[in-house]
Formats: sequence, structure tokens, C-alpha cells
Amino acid sequence: MSWVSICEESLLPAKRGVAAWVAGRAVAVFNLGEAGIFAIDNIDPATGVSVLSRGLLCELNNELYVASPIHKQHYSLTTGQCLENESLSVDVFEVKCQSGNVLARALA
Amino acid sequence: MKTSKPKLVVVGNGMVGHHFVEQLCEQQLSQHYDVEVFGAENIPAYDRVQLSKYFASSSADELMLTTQADYAAKGVELHLGQQVSHIDTANKRLTANGQQIQYDKLVLATGSYPFVPPIKGNDRRDCMVYRTIEDLEAIEQAALNASSGVVIGGGLLGLEAANALSALGLETHVVEFAPQLMSVQLNDKGGELLKQKIQALGLGVHLSKATQEIVDGESAQHRLNFSDGSFLETDMIVFSAGIRPQDTLARTSDIGIGERGGIVIDDNCQTSAKDVYAIGECALWQQKIFGLVAPGYQMAKVALSQIALQVPERVEAPLTFTGADMSTKLKLLGVDVASIGESRGFAGAQYVELSDLQAGVYKKLWLDETGLYLRGAVLVGNVDEYSHLLSQYLSGDVLEEPAVTLLLTDESAPLTLKDNAIVCSCHQVTKADIVEQVIAGNHQLAEIKSCTKAASGCGGCSALVQQIIDDTMQAQGLDTESGICCHFEHDRQALFHLCQVENIKDFEHLYQRHAKTNASPLGLGCDICKPVAASIFATLENQYVLNEEHVALQDSNDAYLGNLQKDGSYSVVPRVAGGEITPDKLIAMGKIAKRYDLYTKITGGQRIDMFGAQLSDLPEIWSELIAEGFETGHAYGKSLRTVKSCVGNSWCRYGVQDSVGLAIALEHRYKGLRSPHKIKFAVSGCTRECAEAQSKDIGIIATEKGWNLFVCGNGGMRPRHGDLFATDLSTELLVQYIDRILMFYSKTAARLQRTSVWMESLAGGLEYLQSVIIDDALGVNHELEQQMDKVVANYQCEWKTSLEDKAFLQRFSEFVNPEFAPASTQNQYQYQREQKFPIASDMQTFIEVSRSKSVVGDIAITLLDEEEVLV
Repeated sequence: MSWVSICEESLLPAKRGVAAWVAGRAVAVFNLGEAGIFAIDNIDPATGVSVLSRGLLCELNNELYVASPIHKQHYSLTTGQCLENESLSVDVFEVKCQSGNVLARALA
Repeated sequence: MKTSKPKLVVVGNGMVGHHFVEQLCEQQLSQHYDVEVFGAENIPAYDRVQLSKYFASSSADELMLTTQADYAAKGVELHLGQQVSHIDTANKRLTANGQQIQYDKLVLATGSYPFVPPIKGNDRRDCMVYRTIEDLEAIEQAALNASSGVVIGGGLLGLEAANALSALGLETHVVEFAPQLMSVQLNDKGGELLKQKIQALGLGVHLSKATQEIVDGESAQHRLNFSDGSFLETDMIVFSAGIRPQDTLARTSDIGIGERGGIVIDDNCQTSAKDVYAIGECALWQQKIFGLVAPGYQMAKVALSQIALQVPERVEAPLTFTGADMSTKLKLLGVDVASIGESRGFAGAQYVELSDLQAGVYKKLWLDETGLYLRGAVLVGNVDEYSHLLSQYLSGDVLEEPAVTLLLTDESAPLTLKDNAIVCSCHQVTKADIVEQVIAGNHQLAEIKSCTKAASGCGGCSALVQQIIDDTMQAQGLDTESGICCHFEHDRQALFHLCQVENIKDFEHLYQRHAKTNASPLGLGCDICKPVAASIFATLENQYVLNEEHVALQDSNDAYLGNLQKDGSYSVVPRVAGGEITPDKLIAMGKIAKRYDLYTKITGGQRIDMFGAQLSDLPEIWSELIAEGFETGHAYGKSLRTVKSCVGNSWCRYGVQDSVGLAIALEHRYKGLRSPHKIKFAVSGCTRECAEAQSKDIGIIATEKGWNLFVCGNGGMRPRHGDLFATDLSTELLVQYIDRILMFYSKTAARLQRTSVWMESLAGGLEYLQSVIIDDALGVNHELEQQMDKVVANYQCEWKTSLEDKAFLQRFSEFVNPEFAPASTQNQYQYQREQKFPIASDMQTFIEVSRSKSVVGDIAITLLDEEEVLV
């Protein structure tokens, strides 16, 4: 799958998430400054609601997570795995910045 | 005052009877019945399972499950020390203390009584039983003049009684008729090991002894003469030879009784008499009496569900009783003992046995004929495998490995309980129930006990529950030792004081100075410490909560100034102080709700909530509301929600003060105060209490002379009536007290601790709080008032401030690149009672249930056509 431009870099707020469309899929994009930009599915697999970009970012056991705002399960920003429930996970997307634009693509 | 509600009478106020009443109130069935309870003892229900704890403090306080005031508060009439002598089942009348009482439903929870063997001399002085607190008082009294004691009966209760006698300093003996101890639960070898262990503790154990008579002793008060010619002398005797169902009342009232006693019940817990139920140890189900508390609790639930069936608007499916698991794990005289399922084995069974008398351990597993299923187990001396084995037994699954590996489990291995495994059999709580509550933020065993009831029955599962809490928290990366989360060692109170003393105003500084040394340098924190920090900064300074330093700390609701609902939409809640609203504002709200197609509902806090707003519509909706003179209601924050009021003396014939005026003034004073948990107030204009002030954090009831102040009440899952804090206050003094109480609470409570729990956590409780607030015992009142003044002075409508900030509005575009949205992605709604609901709403199921019962009548669900779907 190819890279898709989603928005200008300046539109990503620090230490928070935004939702973006990537090839028809809702994706949550998180800007962690020096630590990088991360992207996972926006749909919370526990409830099927498109809200993960509105969750709080967390650092637990040296791993980055977002806490779903619905029922607070944590999803890894690097693997997509749910911390509390092995059977839940989200897809992870690759993100990069190029000439002031944010690009994303699904990991194969 | 005469009401026309049907009457429900419960006879018996033991653990099971009390559980029934508790469940009844929790399910709000008490609104449909006048409930009366008769207890034969002079005190309300207590924990009989933990009875021996009485001797630790010589007090029943710790054992009490409830108080008479609790019952009164629930509106249940409790008669103590009253025997019900007869039931006229034909006319539905019972006689108690000479009075006739009519009933519509009757529940017998009369329990059991200790069996005293028909031995000559069994009524001599200091020959006692072990059942009630009165019995324990008598045993304690007799022990004062005794140096030795004998327990007749080597079963579970007998050993417990022996433990009590031994703890009272008596030379103690156990006399058992059977050739082994605990013959119901253990097999011969398990019983033998238990005997050795008990003897090693210095107790005498006498097996296969039939006592023929009790006569005067030579060296002690009594002599027990056994049938084999031997004898034993002792100063006091406790009979603990089993229980018998207390069925006398049913027997004399022509209710069906089993051949060997017990009130016969069917799967619905119904007796032979119409509308009469029996539950607990008095009930005989399929020829069986269940002598444990957990099956009694299950029966209570069944009887309740059967009674609920007859309340018209209830739609839950009724429960039936299908028997109960009798597995137990306990510590007897310091010896660990556990039995599961068919613990004594059965014909044709395969088994695995481990006997290590050197280590003092005996374990045996019973498998079915094929050796593939676990059917029973007995463990003595070491019961580490109990939880694993019980889970395997209850699951009914095929053993995946040779059975012997079940006994070689590394005890530190994490427990692989399935989500649906029953952890607390007393209250039927599953592992998943507990995990869910831990994720929701209940990290203390006490909190889990109160919200799931797990470990609040016999307490046998406490260790397992704690383990599940720890495992779940560990999975979430939370520290289970101390501190609010894995990033800070401090609790909320300590963090509050650090921020105050060191004048810390942002998370970055707080993290740099006070996070654990090994916490990550990224300084991101987590969903626990960030909102706590945000709340502390807001309480101290009451600045705009979404400024650049604070916005990334806010929990989802605060971050978008709305309540996130299950479908990802938000609710919009303008402030309607005191519940008073002008016709113009009503019209304005109605127009706005209509324009954005919002579901509207008047809530319990006397305001109007509008649901189903899309994130991107929030700014526009709020700018229209603000233009009409509304401000935010802080429904999203841990802050003051509403001050409910009745009509007050301006209109009401009975009102003695202006409750509406006061409610509005108080709501405006404290609106926006960020606190450890949400806070609700109410003001009633007279003692009729139409505002229900006593169930609020701050409740105020008008008197002829001023205001009575109630504090720390709450509704919700575990309701608590507020305590009367002060009476006949002037308005000025009232406000002063509330300032101090709220600020003291905000500074000292734990994260998400409600005022009721906070009050209970203060050593000295209400009296201490009164001494701090009224007498200024800590000398902090001036400071508390100043801080409150600062918070009040810095109030701002967060939506108004936000709308003036262009950058802020950017956050409300649902997607940064909406131009790439696929064609059909919008939420879909269905219409019901002329309003919209999310498609995935549980309402669907509710309606199906209602229909099948034809209770609610035929409700049509109109699913929208494709083109009518809301976009």
C-alpha cells in the first residue's frame, strides 16, 4: 500500500491525537514530538466506536499507549495490542513527515 | 399514612434473610412492597461465618452486616427480638408477639439450630452450643471460671468452636463419634493428617467416642463417660454436632416438611403454601439442606426474582435454583484445609494421591471413570492449588494434561482463570466482573467489594480477588504498592499539597520534580496521573482547563467539554441553576435541540440534557446556547453538577424558607469547582424533603429557624444518607461551613473518592469533620475559605472562553482531512417515541423482552429508510 498525504504537520497538536482518513479508513494520529508520530486504527475494537484519537496518551512499562475514552482499555501505539484483553487489537500505520506534510500508510 | 402497596414479610434476619432484603432494596423492589422483617435475635444480621472473630475483640461490632438505622433508611420495618408463632396460610396472616399481620408474600429465612445429641446430662451447667453471639457471650463468661473445655463434634463448626476455646486459654479437647475429623468433607487420610496437626497444637482429639452420659466430675465440673468405658473430665462443654433446619414455624403452620426436617421447596424456592418461599438453611431442596451461606444467597436471589416476576413493569427473566457447589477452603486452628466437589471419592473413581507426612501435606484428586474430568479434591496442610483446582472443577472441561500436574503447579504461576470463572461463589461474581471494575478505576479491595460484592460474603476468595486486582493493574502498567499510578509514589492528597506548597502549576514541573526516579524521561504520564494533576491545578487556581499546559492532561470529557456517549457522540448540558428556567430559555433550548436533532431528557438533577451531538457540531450548538444566555453545566467534569430544589416558600403551602433562591445562589457559588469526584447538592424548603437532600453530598433542609445541613450522602450504586452536620444555621454560616467542607474535601480526598467514602475514611468520621469545620480544630479554616474565594472569583464559563479561541475550535473537526471521507460513514440512528437513539442501543433488546412478556404493550420500532438516515 502506498503513502497517503493526510495533512500539514502544523495541524498535529502536541501530545494529543487527531483522527484522519487514510485510504478510506479512520486512523488516530498521535504527535509525540521527539519520540515520533504514531498512528493506529481510530475504531475502538471493544465497542466499535471511532474514538481512539480522543483518548489519553500513556506511557506504561516503557511502551506508549492510548487509553480508549469509552472503557479505558489501553492500546499500544507500536503494536496495536490491547493491554487488558489479549483478544483485542488494532492495526498500526506507518507515519512520516515530508516537506511539512504528514504521510501515512497501512503496514502490510 | 395508609398505603395500598402489597406487603412482603421476611421471617428471619440472619445472613440469608438480610441478603434477601439487601438485594430487594438494591433492585428497587422495595418501592413495590411494604417490607417487614422479623428477627428472633435482639440484634440485626451479623456475619455468622466469621463468628470466631468475636473473641478477638469481645465485640460484635466488626461482625455486624447492617444496623437498624440502615433498615429504617431503606424504608424496611425491622422487628428484633420477635418470634413469629403461627402462619395462617389460607388467610395469609401470621402471628407475631400476639399480633396478627396480613401478608401478600412471605419469605421464611429461619435458618438452622445446633443439634444437641440426646445424651443424659446434656442440660447441665456450662453445657452450651456455638451458634449466635449470645452463645459466644455465654461461652466467654463460662470460660472465666474454667480451665478446660470439650467440644462434642469434630466437624467444621466443632473445630471452629475448639479454636475459640483454645483461644480463650482453656485446655481443649475435641470428641468425635466418627473415626475421623471433618467426615463430611475429608477422606480418612486427610482427616488423619488434620488430627495430627491439631494434636501438635496441644489439643486433645478423641475419635470413635460415643458419649453416654455427662455426670459430676472429680477433678473438674463434668465427666463424660464414653461407651467404650473410657472417660474425660472437663469444666465446660460445647455441643457442635451439626445443624438442624429451623422448621418449627412451618411445621405448626401446615407447610410441607421433609421426612427428616426442612421446609420443602421447589426450584423456584416456593414452599407448599401459596406465596410462601423458604431460603437458606431452613429450606430442603431435592432432599438436601445446604449448610453454607453461598447457596442461601443463591436461593435469596431466586426467591426475589420469582417475587419480582409479579411486579408489572419488571421484565427480567426469573431465576431458578439448580443446586450449589459446596467446595470450601478454610483455616481451622491454623491448619489449611480445602475440599472440592466429591471430596470423599466415589465408586469407580480414578484418583491421584500425594501424601507427605514429613511436610504435613496431604492431597488427593478424584477423577471420573475415564480419568479425563476432575470430580473432587481434598487438600490438607497446603491449599495453594485450590483456586486452580476449583476453576478446573467448575469449568467441567477435559483435563489438558495428566491430572498429577494439577498438584505440581508452581504456586507463583499466574492463575489462568477464565473470564467467566466464578471467583466469589457467595455472590456469583466472575473474574470478568472484577477485571471490568479494576479497569474502571477501582483498585482497592474495599472498592471491589463494594461495587461487585466479591469477597464480601464468606471472604474466602479475598486473596484471589486481590490477585486479580494486582494482575489486572500490572497488565495496565499500574503500581500496586503505593501512589496513584506507576509514575508517582504519592497519593492525590500528597500531590495536592506538593503543588500547593511548591507552587507547581503544570504537569511538566510536577513530573520533573516528583515522578519516580525510574519513570520514563518522556514524561508523558498516564490516564490516571494526568487527570489527577489537571484536577489539582483546577482546584488550586481554577484557570481555564484547556490552555496549552493543561489540555493534554484532560480526560476525554473535559478535553471536549461534553460527555462522551456510547456511540461516540456527545451530550450538551447547559446550567439550569436550581432547576429554575424561564419560558424563553425553554423555547430557545427546544429550538436548538430541534435544529440539531438532539434527543432531550429532563434528568434527575433537574436540568435538560441534549444527546447525540456530533463532535464537530459542539462549538456551533454552544455558541447558540451562549447567545441565548446559557452557560456550561460542567456535566463533563469532576465538579459541582447541580443543586436540586423543591418549589420553596414562594409557592408551596408548606415551605418555610426560599429553597429555590438558596439553591440558585449555591449553584452559582460553587459551579466550576474541580473536586476529586462529582458533587451534587439539594435544598428542601421544609421537612417534607421534596428535593431529596439527604441523598446528596451537601443536603440542606429548611427549618423554621434557618437551615439544617446534611453532608456526605450519595445516591448511585451504594446509596448513603447524609449525616446531620449542623442545625438551624443562618444562610451566612451555612455558606461558610460549605466553603470549608468542600475545600477540605478537595484537598484531602483520594482520587475519585466520593464524599461518603471520604467521610468514612476520616478517623473519627462525622465528629472529626465537625471539630475541623465548626471548632477549627486544625486552625485551617481561614485558609480554606480564602482558597474557596479564589476559586469562586476565577470562575469562567469554559465554553464561552473556548469559543473565543480560534485554535481551540480546530480540535472539533472530527477528522483533519474531512475531504477524504468515504461516502457512507456517518452514525445511524433509529427513532423511538419521536426522538432519536443510537442504532446499537440496548433499547432493542429491552423492547424484545418487553414484547415477549407483553408487559409494555406493542411498541413499534421504526427503522429509517436509507435516505432518512441522519447524516
